[in-house]
Amino acid sequence: MATKVVMEALSPTMEEGRLVEWKMAEGAKVSVGDVLAEVETDKAIMELVARVDGTLLKHLVPAGSTVPVADPVGIIGEPGEDISGGSEGGGSSEGSDISEGSGGGDVGEGSGGGEAVDVAVAAPLPGGRVKASPLARRMAEEQGIDLSSVTGSGPGGRIVKRDLAGVAHARPGAAPVTATGGFEDIPLSLMRKTIAKRLVESIGPVPTFYLTVEIDMERTWDAREALKLLGPDGKVSFNDIIIKATALALKQHPECNAWWQGDAIRQWYEVHLGMAVAIDGGLITPVIRHADQKSLREISAEARVLAEKARERKLMPEEYTGATFTVSNLGAFGIDHFTAIINPPEAGILAIGGITQRPVVVDGELVVRRRMPLTMSCDHRVIDGAMGAAFLQTLRAYLENPLAMVW
Amino acid sequence: MTSLLTVNLGCRDYGAVLALQRDLCQARLHGEADSDVLLLVEHPDVITLGRGTKPSSLPHDSSALRRLGYQVHEIERGGDVTYHGPGQLVGYPVLDLRQHREDLHWYLRQLEAVLIDVLAVFDVPGERVAGSTGVWTQGRKIASIGIHVKQWVTFHGFALNVTTDLSRFESIVPCGIDGVVMTSIAHELGSDHARPTLWSEAVTAVVDAMGRTFDRDATLVPLETLPQFGFTRV
Repeated sequence: MATKVVMEALSPTMEEGRLVEWKMAEGAKVSVGDVLAEVETDKAIMELVARVDGTLLKHLVPAGSTVPVADPVGIIGEPGEDISGGSEGGGSSEGSDISEGSGGGDVGEGSGGGEAVDVAVAAPLPGGRVKASPLARRMAEEQGIDLSSVTGSGPGGRIVKRDLAGVAHARPGAAPVTATGGFEDIPLSLMRKTIAKRLVESIGPVPTFYLTVEIDMERTWDAREALKLLGPDGKVSFNDIIIKATALALKQHPECNAWWQGDAIRQWYEVHLGMAVAIDGGLITPVIRHADQKSLREISAEARVLAEKARERKLMPEEYTGATFTVSNLGAFGIDHFTAIINPPEAGILAIGGITQRPVVVDGELVVRRRMPLTMSCDHRVIDGAMGAAFLQTLRAYLENPLAMVW
Repeated sequence: MTSLLTVNLGCRDYGAVLALQRDLCQARLHGEADSDVLLLVEHPDVITLGRGTKPSSLPHDSSALRRLGYQVHEIERGGDVTYHGPGQLVGYPVLDLRQHREDLHWYLRQLEAVLIDVLAVFDVPGERVAGSTGVWTQGRKIASIGIHVKQWVTFHGFALNVTTDLSRFESIVPCGIDGVVMTSIAHELGSDHARPTLWSEAVTAVVDAMGRTFDRDATLVPLETLPQFGFTRV
């Protein structure tokens, strides 16, 4: 079984290392602890040692190359072992098994290491099986792609990763998880990967934490009353105003307008706001696209139509997928305060409680104000406490001073 | 607190001290000794080429440098070319980072902190330059760092210019940084503040700062006593 030798992290702040010199030639027999190569980061040289016994079958990178942490640099295996699939696996991010601490980065059987010894299948397999690399197989399974519908470009027509690129969203019968518009994929730093891994271990697949604020809604209340004077056209719900404010705040805090992508954080340039709507037997979240660019009047009209269609179960898939963030409001259901569950891959959701008159102290005096509790659930892999808090501060500023929304 | 055995070697040849470092490192790797060691030394004129040496950093080839009276060593530390010579205080910490922190960047920053503390003793403001390991003062480079780590045991280290003849750097492009201006503590203090005790004050300051920064009891010991601490290869 071939094992990849990866660029080890010699410091949590190390992003890449320069492979200065190979100490072992291709074909050399190596034992655990043998120095394979020297790696430089900053002005420190550290030795990359073998974690398994075997033969150094291949240098995947030449001396002098700068290699990201956890990327493969070589392969150790048995002499004569077929490693033809190695370069493909090597170029992908799937082998990036980083063990913390010792920086040991060997990839064993059953994980990405399989890719390194993948042998092209010579003839079609019985039972109509399709020839595909293990990586392609796994990607297809995750994305619901039928491999029999894909044309392979690998050796002998074998399906490899690149063949799936064009059909990634062709899953039949399932709603594609897409949002329209531009975005930026931010590669995960080693620290980000470690945060993600540790938090998931602790709390589950989406490591969530909660931030709660109580917002003074007096001015928003007054603004809404003022709009009512315009006649039926001016009738907007608090939720419409909250959606508008949330979209504007997200525009200012793109780090919260993001998806967890497993190997990257996708920060969306546009804000597509999902709004949870209770329907018979469940709930659904229609999406107000480009909510940050729409007027309160447009948002209000669109929200009304979407909610109506939701209750009648007439929403089209593109109307309830691709949200970049979601708002859930149970204020109208008499709920004082609650927490909402994140809708992956989104990184956050707001749970809006009811507006009630409460005694609060303002400028040293006890007064009665209309207050609204609000709790944000944050995927900690994407949003840190301070990031979420900054976003909520902006949101509070809009809701406590609604004139700022039209500024 | 565990100790940091500190040996002041005085003036010694580069090659001999390199062999000593490797022996100390091996003893640590094989578990024969469990104390951190700091070697302090002053080398005769020598130019060392680190793993990152660029051809452009050496205006003269190695044989020409030898004719100019420099020893030349190609070595395993990180970094580009550097010069060591009289008046430069060189420190080689042999530490097991597994007992500190398995983090090379942390270690480099700690060494910089040590050197900045030492400079503060002389009222010389030391600073880091992001992306350029070493210590600088007002844009001039006063101390260089280059290390090698073998399974988390460190060797090589730092070189602090105390009274170094700065013209000796002119035969090379120090650290491969074009246009870098080298300086020394004596140069920064100016001739009006020349101190006959500068060297010994610098040695004391380095020992103090190393102990404080790495949380070790820095004790000066003679070289001959190292075998008593398990360094029997010495």
